[in-house]
Amino acid sequence: MRETDTMHTPDRPQHDPLFDPLRAGLQDVNAPPGVEQALMQAFARQFPRRRRWYEALSPRGRAAGVGLAACMAVTALALALFTLHAPRMDGTPDANLDTHPDAARTLAAYDADGGLFIALEPLERIEREPSLRMVETDLPRSSLDALGVPPTPDNAGDAVRAELLVAADGQALALRLIN
Amino acid sequence: MTTATTATDTDLLRAMRSGAADAFAALYRRHQGPLYRFALLRCGSADNAADVVQEAFMGLLTGRFQFDPLRGQLQHFLFGVARNLILKQEAGRQRYLALAPDRAGNEDGDDADLELPDGQACPLARVLGNETAEQVRRALALLAPHYRDAVILYELHDMSYAEIADICQVDVGTVRSRLSRGRAALARRLAAWRNLDTISA
Repeated sequence: MRETDTMHTPDRPQHDPLFDPLRAGLQDVNAPPGVEQALMQAFARQFPRRRRWYEALSPRGRAAGVGLAACMAVTALALALFTLHAPRMDGTPDANLDTHPDAARTLAAYDADGGLFIALEPLERIEREPSLRMVETDLPRSSLDALGVPPTPDNAGDAVRAELLVAADGQALALRLIN
Repeated sequence: MTTATTATDTDLLRAMRSGAADAFAALYRRHQGPLYRFALLRCGSADNAADVVQEAFMGLLTGRFQFDPLRGQLQHFLFGVARNLILKQEAGRQRYLALAPDRAGNEDGDDADLELPDGQACPLARVLGNETAEQVRRALALLAPHYRDAVILYELHDMSYAEIADICQVDVGTVRSRLSRGRAALARRLAAWRNLDTISA
């Protein structure tokens, strides 16, 4: 261990005035700005900002990624509907369709003339409806978010052509997209 | 910015280690000036001084130089790191100079032939408009490195003997003797130059 001299040591130095001009001349001398810049770059490398996965993509790649996600969502939706409407391959009856055969038949009848309908209301409600009518309309793409098709900043303002199965009281019971 | 003005070094270090860039910037801005001025006077080259400052902070950032707040102030730690980096630079230079032994300096601090700190070699000379300041800087640059440390830290950085002892890893008595001899060597050299000026005038 280092020995420490316990003899008198001034708390603060008593300066030699000889150094005053040098002290004054050095007062505003600082490290060049490039040093701070290099250090902050090193800091950024040391602590990289956590980026969301889509930020790693280029703008073009980001659009493609969002498109891919939307396609996957639509495919998943279509598969779900197919599972709902298609006969069971193993011969066992679908519990939901068995419980509401009329609603299933109703939707299947409409499905036959192009595209699958997405039920917006429970099958019991569709089953109870005595007179359905089909209405063609333009929906804002943002309204499809709840159906698993998220809009992107690029297409959020677009409209999507759709057909709605509407109850007598005007309530939309099912929906299908037209291309 | 509040972070830069009120937080202690320890708080800033803690924030820096958790990834706060503004804390690191505040630490740097707080300490870079004195550290750079010390390195500049100590090694006599603006480029080398900038390298030393950058390496010291880089070591703080990466953990290469571990600062323990229980063992002293961050500023003293940084000065110690800077001094060690400069010594390492000088050791590299000494290996080169060993090929020419007649150029090595003596223990008394008058190693005038070791370096030639003329005004053109050091950009600091351009900063120092005052002739006396420039003379003192040149005389300081000609002191032996261990005397230079003590004189710079005491006279220009307001440090006490104990603080200098901590930075230079020597005891207080050694600091006192180095300071005394350094001042004496400085005074001799300045007096000699002034005599020369008087004669030539």
